[in-house]
Amino acid sequence: MVMEYEVVIGLEVHVELMTKSKLFCACPNRFTTEANSHTCEVCLGFPGALPLLNREAVQKALTASLALNCEIALHSYFDRKNYFYPDIPKGYQISQYFIPLGSSGFLEIEDDSGAPKKIRIGRVHLEEDAGKLVHGGAGDSAVDYNRAGVPLIEIVSEPDLRSPGESRRYLEQLKSILQYAEVSDCKMEEGSLRCDANVSLRPKGSTVFGNKVELKNMNSFKAVEKALEYEIERQAQILRRGETVIPQTRRWDEDKQVTIAMRDKYQATDYRCFPDPELAPIELTAGEVEAARRALPEFPAQRKSRYMAEYGLPAYDAGVLTATRGMAEYFEACLKLYDDPKSLSNWIMGDFSAHLNAAGLEPQEAPLTPAYMAALLQMIDKQLISGKIAKEVMAKVFATGKSPREIVEGEGLLQITDQSELEKLVDEVIAANPDSVQSYRSGKTKALGFLVGQVMQATKGKANPQLVNKLLAEKLK
Amino acid sequence: MELGYITAAAAAEAVRKREIAARELVESFLGRCTALNGRINSFIHIFEQEAMDQAEVVDERIKGGEALPLAGVPVALKDDLCYSAGPTSWGAAALKDFHPPYTAAAVEKLIAAGAVIVGKANLDPFSLGFSTAASLAGPTVNPRNPDLPAGDGAAAAVAAGQCLLALSSDSGGALRIGADRCGIFGLRPTTGLVSRHGLCTAAPSFAQVGIAAREAADIELALQAIAGYDPRDAATAAVKEGIPAAQKRSAAKELKIGFPEAVFDLLPEADRASFEKYRAKLEASGAAVVAVELPLFQEALHAYCVIAAAEASSNLGRFDGIRFGIPEAEANMEDWYHKTRGRIFDLEAKRRSIFGTHLLSGENFDAYYRQAQKVWKLVRRSFAAALEHCDLLVLPVAVSPGNGCEAGGDFLASYQEKLFCAPVSLSGLPSLCVPAGDGAATAAGLQLVGKPYEEAALIALADRAAL
Repeated sequence: MVMEYEVVIGLEVHVELMTKSKLFCACPNRFTTEANSHTCEVCLGFPGALPLLNREAVQKALTASLALNCEIALHSYFDRKNYFYPDIPKGYQISQYFIPLGSSGFLEIEDDSGAPKKIRIGRVHLEEDAGKLVHGGAGDSAVDYNRAGVPLIEIVSEPDLRSPGESRRYLEQLKSILQYAEVSDCKMEEGSLRCDANVSLRPKGSTVFGNKVELKNMNSFKAVEKALEYEIERQAQILRRGETVIPQTRRWDEDKQVTIAMRDKYQATDYRCFPDPELAPIELTAGEVEAARRALPEFPAQRKSRYMAEYGLPAYDAGVLTATRGMAEYFEACLKLYDDPKSLSNWIMGDFSAHLNAAGLEPQEAPLTPAYMAALLQMIDKQLISGKIAKEVMAKVFATGKSPREIVEGEGLLQITDQSELEKLVDEVIAANPDSVQSYRSGKTKALGFLVGQVMQATKGKANPQLVNKLLAEKLK
Repeated sequence: MELGYITAAAAAEAVRKREIAARELVESFLGRCTALNGRINSFIHIFEQEAMDQAEVVDERIKGGEALPLAGVPVALKDDLCYSAGPTSWGAAALKDFHPPYTAAAVEKLIAAGAVIVGKANLDPFSLGFSTAASLAGPTVNPRNPDLPAGDGAAAAVAAGQCLLALSSDSGGALRIGADRCGIFGLRPTTGLVSRHGLCTAAPSFAQVGIAAREAADIELALQAIAGYDPRDAATAAVKEGIPAAQKRSAAKELKIGFPEAVFDLLPEADRASFEKYRAKLEASGAAVVAVELPLFQEALHAYCVIAAAEASSNLGRFDGIRFGIPEAEANMEDWYHKTRGRIFDLEAKRRSIFGTHLLSGENFDAYYRQAQKVWKLVRRSFAAALEHCDLLVLPVAVSPGNGCEAGGDFLASYQEKLFCAPVSLSGLPSLCVPAGDGAATAAGLQLVGKPYEEAALIALADRAAL
């Protein structure tokens, strides 16, 4: 009999905070290609330069902690984690080791059966990022300190995840929440969200953890899932052979799709953490925490339920529309001007999203503003244009930035609803297509569709399709 | 005008009244800087050109009608204070040829007040020590007595009349002990009163920018220029809304001065006798001398040593040859760090790095570092409690030369020399070292320790009591 194992996964996620400046200096916190241009004496660790705490970063970390249902430490402080590596300018990283800002939180996800499941979050703490090593061809290396001192939060889950799928959903949910809260843009491909995974196996029913392996170097949610799948299988094979999993850190190799041993855990470093004597403690008042809690946005899960209950949208639609805060806000802005949620949802999920993706835009940046969207859909409802023309108009709004009405009027796209004009065309089409007329009359109703299509073509799509249908049906009686 | 023995206040006044140009004043002092430096070795860098240029600026500002409190006053800076006009070496091989792109806040403020920086004073590497014995430039000679150590390069420059004021750092007592040895006044201000922006330090919990001068009044003049809030040093936030007004100055007759008997018992017999004389003088000036207790006084030194070493091991971590210091470029990073740091660190920097690393490692953290933090808190409380019964405290600065163990002693003995200064550093209170003992170079000096922001009271008493 093959032994069955339970998978135990915990994730450590680092997220770059969207702040104007770095954590302890006024250097801009944004990407630049010019190496070491966003640096100063503080983030380069010059002697005599003192760190100054960026309150905006504390605020974002507080928001993130609250969004993840954490308890907030009103008194916390920064510690130094001492180690040597060329990408840290001071010989230590400033982090929160002893008292994290947030602790004992949770994140709700769906387990593999679709049932809701709470994943406990052990801690959310604030820390600074390191610089980046750039390796040259000749074996030499250079250091770029632009990223050094950028504010991060580290979010550590408890070992509550039981599968690669749960892990991916945890990350997706986390990303969605942090984006909603405007804490971070969470772009894993660009490094603003980074994830290490701890994974171990134990016999089903056991309450003791197995030897744990830490996985690093995954550059996408997909890679996290793949690396976990690979690692679980690797560990299962070892255990089935009756051998022991070596506790170690392994690197995911994206090209080879395997994990490779980096170092064994027994070499664990003593970071000699101690409170940073150059920084004052972080003091928060209960009032500040409450104000931050009140300022939290409505999160995707709540919003999704509300869309289903309030607007009668299907779960799928509600899920897509609430996946990002930008999309949900766009939808709600449109809904204030246009009151058919399902029709709106169809257009947003369809053509609108396609145009956004093609142009690489966020909903708020779309040339098709909520007012334009509402105007466009109202023109369909009033039968001023057909759905097909509406698609063309939307494309033109994205291309030119003009209003839908301007495009419709300027290009003569208004639907033909003049009965006499259409009757003439219908007569012409009937005369030109005796075979189809014959088959329709002999009972093949499908032929009507062809004849409607001919009329539409003759009007370049501007004919009112319902009217054409009606006229043809009457004339062919 | 005998410039060598003028006060800073009088010199600034003369420049303001245009009785003498700042250029003339500075030129004269630069002459003394250069002439005496071969013998005293107080400076490791003299700003011959930059100082003259600066003096010219001061003359222009005076002509423009500015009332500069320190007009033309020549000032020395210990070389751990960054000044963008030239190199700042912090006395260390790791910072050879380092030109800071910024100037320390206190130095900026002095310059704004009209002072002229004449040179960078000698120091031990990374300011780890208070004898200049380990300086790469060789030790500074005490201007009062070449047989005695000077303690502090900046204090020696003031004592030798090479400048009228000096800014120097004080962590465990470097400035106070130096001022004591050289027979001048040295002030360690209240923690957070003077910005530490631009002060290179291995002990951020304790380092403060202090002032050395031959006259107590000059100390006050300089303090007024450099004290106050600076957004670049969060520790000055307490004085953001202004420096708390000094309590109503007690008249000499109402002054209560605390004498901690148990602390004086730690002195050798000869030094104890001189403190009896100081007590008599203070009583003669009308003050009431009261007995106070300072529990944990000896443990305070141990706490200081533990925390200072722990912080040094971390603060010096950045000197790894990547950005500062010429590296031993090894392919293996471990070898790189060993070899580079092995070469650019002197013995004391290595000792503190290793000692500090040990103290922060594993279970030592709770046993030593946490314990030291607790002692620190208790010491702070004990000073505050003592000052509830008096206006200020009198303490020795150090055991007098000859009774100490500074020459050729081992490093633990040299740490012991901070016995009377380190506890005051822990207290965060202002301390004024007063030249005493009728100017005898071998007398034990004393420090007056006051309530927070009560520097002026210490200075007034020092002026009055003529110790």
